[in-house]
Amino acid sequence: MLEIKNLHVKLEDEAREILKGLTLSVKPGEVHAIMGPNGSGKSTLSYVLSGREGYEVTEGSVTFKGEDLLAMEASQRAAKGVFLAFQYPIEIPGVATMQFLKVALNAQRKARGQKEMTAPEFMRHVKERAAKLNISQDMLKRPVNVGFSGGEKKRAEILQMAVLEPSLCVLDETDSGLDIDALRVVADGVNALRSPDRAMIVITHYQRLLDYIVPDKVHVLSDGKIVKTGGKELALELEANGYADFVGKAA
Amino acid sequence: MTSVVSQIPQIQLTDAEKALGISLPSRRLEEWKWTDLRRMITTAYGSQKVTAKDADVERLLKASPFSALHLKRIVFINGVHDADRSQVKVAVAKPSAALATDEIVALGSRLQATGVSLSLEGNADTPIEIIHVTTDGPARAQAVRHVVEVADGSSATIVETFVGEGDYLTTAVIDLTVGEGARLDHIKVEHEAPKATHLGHAIVSLAANSVLREFTLTSGSALNRQNGTYTFTGEGADAKVAGAYLLNGKQHADTRLVVDHAVPRCTSRELFKVVMDGNARGIFQGKVVVRPDAQKTDGKQSSHALLLSETAEFDAKPELEIYADDVVCGHGATSGDLNHDHMFYLKSRGIPESEAKSLLIAAFVGEAIETVEHEGIREALSNYAKGWLSRR
Amino acid sequence: MADLDTIELVKDIDVDKYKYGFETDIESDVAPKGLNEGTIRFISDKKGEPQWMLDWRLEAYQVWQNLTLPTWAKVSYPPIDFQDLHYYSAPKSSPAPKSLDEVDPKLLETYAKLGIPLKEQEILAGVRKQGEKSDLDGESGGEYASGKVAVDAVFDSVSVVTTFKDELKKHGVIFCSISEALREHPQLVKQYLGSVVPQGDNYYAALNAAVFSDGSFVYVPPGVRCPMELSTYFRMNAKNTGQFERTLIIADKGSYVSYLEGCTAPTRDESQLHAAVVELIALEDAEIKYSTVQNWYPGDAEGKGGIYNFVTKRGDCRGDRAKISWTQVETGSAITWKYPSCILRGDDSRGEFYSIAISNGRQQVDSGTKMIHLGKNSSSRIISKGIAAGRSDNTYRGLVSAHRKALNARNFTQCDSLLIGDKCGAHTVPYIESKTSTAQFEHEATTSKISDDQMFYCMSRGLSQEEAVALIVNGFVRDVLQHLPMEFMAETQKLIGISLEGSVG
Repeated sequence: MLEIKNLHVKLEDEAREILKGLTLSVKPGEVHAIMGPNGSGKSTLSYVLSGREGYEVTEGSVTFKGEDLLAMEASQRAAKGVFLAFQYPIEIPGVATMQFLKVALNAQRKARGQKEMTAPEFMRHVKERAAKLNISQDMLKRPVNVGFSGGEKKRAEILQMAVLEPSLCVLDETDSGLDIDALRVVADGVNALRSPDRAMIVITHYQRLLDYIVPDKVHVLSDGKIVKTGGKELALELEANGYADFVGKAA
Repeated sequence: MTSVVSQIPQIQLTDAEKALGISLPSRRLEEWKWTDLRRMITTAYGSQKVTAKDADVERLLKASPFSALHLKRIVFINGVHDADRSQVKVAVAKPSAALATDEIVALGSRLQATGVSLSLEGNADTPIEIIHVTTDGPARAQAVRHVVEVADGSSATIVETFVGEGDYLTTAVIDLTVGEGARLDHIKVEHEAPKATHLGHAIVSLAANSVLREFTLTSGSALNRQNGTYTFTGEGADAKVAGAYLLNGKQHADTRLVVDHAVPRCTSRELFKVVMDGNARGIFQGKVVVRPDAQKTDGKQSSHALLLSETAEFDAKPELEIYADDVVCGHGATSGDLNHDHMFYLKSRGIPESEAKSLLIAAFVGEAIETVEHEGIREALSNYAKGWLSRR
Repeated sequence: MADLDTIELVKDIDVDKYKYGFETDIESDVAPKGLNEGTIRFISDKKGEPQWMLDWRLEAYQVWQNLTLPTWAKVSYPPIDFQDLHYYSAPKSSPAPKSLDEVDPKLLETYAKLGIPLKEQEILAGVRKQGEKSDLDGESGGEYASGKVAVDAVFDSVSVVTTFKDELKKHGVIFCSISEALREHPQLVKQYLGSVVPQGDNYYAALNAAVFSDGSFVYVPPGVRCPMELSTYFRMNAKNTGQFERTLIIADKGSYVSYLEGCTAPTRDESQLHAAVVELIALEDAEIKYSTVQNWYPGDAEGKGGIYNFVTKRGDCRGDRAKISWTQVETGSAITWKYPSCILRGDDSRGEFYSIAISNGRQQVDSGTKMIHLGKNSSSRIISKGIAAGRSDNTYRGLVSAHRKALNARNFTQCDSLLIGDKCGAHTVPYIESKTSTAQFEHEATTSKISDDQMFYCMSRGLSQEEAVALIVNGFVRDVLQHLPMEFMAETQKLIGISLEGSVG
C-alpha cells in the first residue's frame, strides 16, 4: 500500500537533511513499528507523509495505493485514506468536535465520489465508536481538544481515526504522556481498527506500547534512515540495550 | 464630544457638506483620524422623500436575517415610520436635550431625524425588531433616532435591522436607558446596500444592577461608523458589548466605543471579532474610562482581527483612562491571518482548503455571536455569517 | 542588599529636598535671551561650525516658525515663552580641554556630588589614571570585563571632557561631542545628521535642529564590538537655559555599541526646557543598545518648577538583521513627552522597547514608543511598566504599524500600569495599524494596584509599608530592569525607591 523509496527530506529554510534515504514498504493488513532516538526524524516522517508545509523532498518517492502521494495536497491525501494521529493534537476553539468530524467525513466522502452521510446516520456512526473509547457526549460537544487532558486528546485522535476509517494510520508517539490505563484504552481502540485492508505505522520511542499493539515488523530509525528491520523481538532488544548500537551506523 | 458648527468661514465646504448643510468631521479630530468623513463622503446626498414601491419593500423586508423568526416588527421605510406594516403600537420619540451629542447626533438633528419611543415594562418573550428599509432612488440622506426605556426590574430584547438598495446615507441614533435591576439585549445588524453610508450611535445609560448584552454585526455598507457611549449611573451594573465585522471589497468600518465607569463596582466587557477580506479596512477604537471614585471596577476589552487577503487592513486603538486604583482593567488586541497549525490539522482530516478556512473563520466570529442569548437570533446570525463566507 | 538601600533613601529624601538640587558657582559664557536668526549665528559661530551646518540650522528655524505647538498629548502646561530663554550657555574654560588637568576643579566637584558611578568619579577626579585597575572592578560583571565606561560630560550646553577617547580610537571607535565631530569628521556628520529625524519632523525637533548646542557623537566601524559602555551625563545648571542636545550614533555593518544616557538638573522655581533629539542608525547586522536612566527635577509637590522634557528619539534599522533596543527608566521631569521609536526598515530587523515610567507628585508623563515595520520578517517587542503615585498622570502611548510590504511582521506588546493611591491616573493609548495579513500582532495591557493581600503578606513577614511598596514595585518592573546594563541596575533600583517616597498614604 505504501512504498517509500530513498526519501531525502530537509526543512525548507535550512540546508541540513533530516531524512537521508529512508526506504520502507508497508502492505495492507500490516502493522509496522518505527522506533528511534530523539532527533532521528520520526516526526518528520509523519509530517511529510501527511503533507505538512515547511518540508522539502530533495530525492526519492512515496507511492500510496499506486499513486504519487507527494504530489497531493494534505486534504487530498486524507481523502485517499491517510490519517496522522498527532503527537500534540491541536486545540481549535470555536469548532465543536462533532461538527468537525461531520465536516471532515463528508468532505472525504465527497472527494471519493461517495454520498454524504445524513445527520442521523452520522450521529449513530459516531456514537458507537465514541462509546468504545469512553468518550462522552459532552466531550463531543466541546470544541476540538479544548480543555482536554493529554489522555483525552489522544483518545479523541483515535476516535477520529475510527470515524474517518482511513486505510493508512500513522500514529506519532501516541503513547507519550499516557499512564497505563489510558494506554490500554488507546491500544484497544487501535487494535479494534486492525483489518486486512488497513495498514498502520506506529511511531514510538518506548517499547511499552508495542506490548499492546503487537507489530508485524519493527524498524529502527537512526539519523534519518532505517538501519535495522526485525520482528517484534527487535523491540524487546532495544528496550534492553538502548539505541547506542544503532546510532552512528547510519553515517 | 464637540458639537459641529456649520458656519466656519475659512473652511470651504465640500459639495457633500453643502448638500447636507453641515460640515463633516475630518482626520484632524483624533476620533476620526482613520475615518475622514469630509474626504470619504463625495456624493451630494439630498433630502428628498421617496415613495417606495410595495414590491421593493416586501422584498427588502424578507432580506432581514430575522424574517423567519416572526419577531414583533416596527417598520421604517426610507426613514419614515410605517404604522400599517408595524405590529407594535408606538409613540413618536422626542429626543431629550440632556442626552449625549456628537457629530453623528448633530448630523441626525440637521436631517430632522424622527423615530419611535418605547417604554418597556415587564418581561417580554418576543423580541421587537425595528427594521429600517431603504428603497432605490435618487441619492439622499435620512435619519432616525429612537428612544428606548426598559423599566426597573423589566427585561426586553430589541433588534435593529438595516437593509436597503441604492446609494444613500443613513444616520441611526438610539438612546437606551436600562432601569435598576433591568436587562436589555440589544442586537443590531447593518446590512445596508453596498454603496450606502451608515453612521450610527448607541447612547446607553445603565442604572444600578442593570444588565446590558449588546451585539452589532457590520457587513453591508461601503462606509460604516458606529459610535457607542455607555455610562454607568448606578453601582453593580454589568455590560457586555460584542461585535463582528464581515468585510470585503473596499468596505470601511470603524467602531468607536466609550465606556464610562462613573460609579464604583460595575463590570464591562468588550469583545470584537473583525474579519477583513479584499481591500477592506476595519477599525476598532475602544476607550474605557474609570473615574476617580469608581473603585472595584472590572473592565476588559478585546479586539481581534483576521486579515484574509494581502490588501486588507486593520487599525486599533484600545484605550484605558484610569483614575481609580482599586480596579482590574485590561485590554488585548491581536491581528493576523488564519492560524497555520489549525489549517493543517483540518486539511489533514480531509477538509479541503477553502472549507477549512470557512470553518475557522466561522469559529472566529462565532465567539462574538455566541454572546447573543436568544437562540433564534443567534442561529440567524450564524447563518448570515455562513452565507457571507460562502460568497467570498 | 539593594532593597535595604532603597528603603534608607526612601526614608531620607522627599520631593522637596531633591538630592541633586544645588548650583555650581562657575563663570559662564551666555548668549542673550531670545530666539532669532542672530542667536543661531551666535551659536554656530561660537562653535566654529562649517557653513553647511549654519545653513541647516537656519533652514530648521524657518520650518519651526511655520509649525504649531502640538496639543494632543495628555499633558497640560503653561505656555512656554520661547523668547524668554537663553539658548547657549557654556562654562568659561578653554574651548577644548586636552586633559582633565585643564578642567575647572569646581566642575569635577560637581560631578562627584552627582553620584556618578564610582568608576567614572575616580577617573574624572583624577584618583585613578586611565588603564589602571580599580578596586571596584569585579563588582559589576555584565559584558565589559574591563569595567570601563567612557564618559562624555556635558555641562549645560557644552561637552566638557570625554574619557577614554584614545583607547576607543585604537578600535576605530569615534566617541566625542558633536561639536568636535563637526570639526574632526564633518563628512560623517553630514552624511547622517537629520537622516532619521529631519528638521521638519515635529515642533521640538525643528527647534532643536536650529539651536542644538552639543551632544554626543558615536561611530563604530564595521565588525567592531565597542569595547566599553559609552555614556553621557548631562547637567542643566544655568538659569533660564533651554537644553537642546543632539545625539547621533552610527553602528556600521556588523558592529555593536551600548550607550547610556543619564541626566540630572538643579532645583529651580522656573521650569526648564529640555528638547533633545537622538538619532540612531544601525546598518546591516549591527546592534545598538540605548539606555536612559533619567532623573530630571520633577517639580515640587505643588507642581512648580521642574523640567519639561520633550524629546524625539528614533532609531533606524537601516540594514538587514539590524537591531536597536531602547531601555529607559524615567523618574523625573515635570512633564515628559517622548516616544523612542524604531523604523524597522531592513529585512529581519528587530526593535525592542523596555520602559519603566514612574510618576509622583504632580508629574505628567505621556510616553511610549513607535515600532514601524517596513521590511520583511521584522519583529518588535514592547514591555512598558508605568507606575503612577501621588497626583500624577501617567500615559503610555504607542504605535505598532506594519506597512503593506512588511510581510511576516511580528509584535508582542505588554503594557502594565500600577496605581499607588487613588489620586493618580494611569492610561494606555495604543495604536495598532496592520496593512498586511501576514503580520501577527499581539497586545496586552493590564492595570492594577498593589493588592491589600500583597501588602499584608509582606508586612506579616516584617516589612514596613514603605519597604513593602519598594519590594513589590521592584518585582513589578523586574522584566524591564534586567535589560539595563548591569552597572546601572543598582542605581536604578535606588532611583525607583526615591521616586516613590511619600506615595504611600
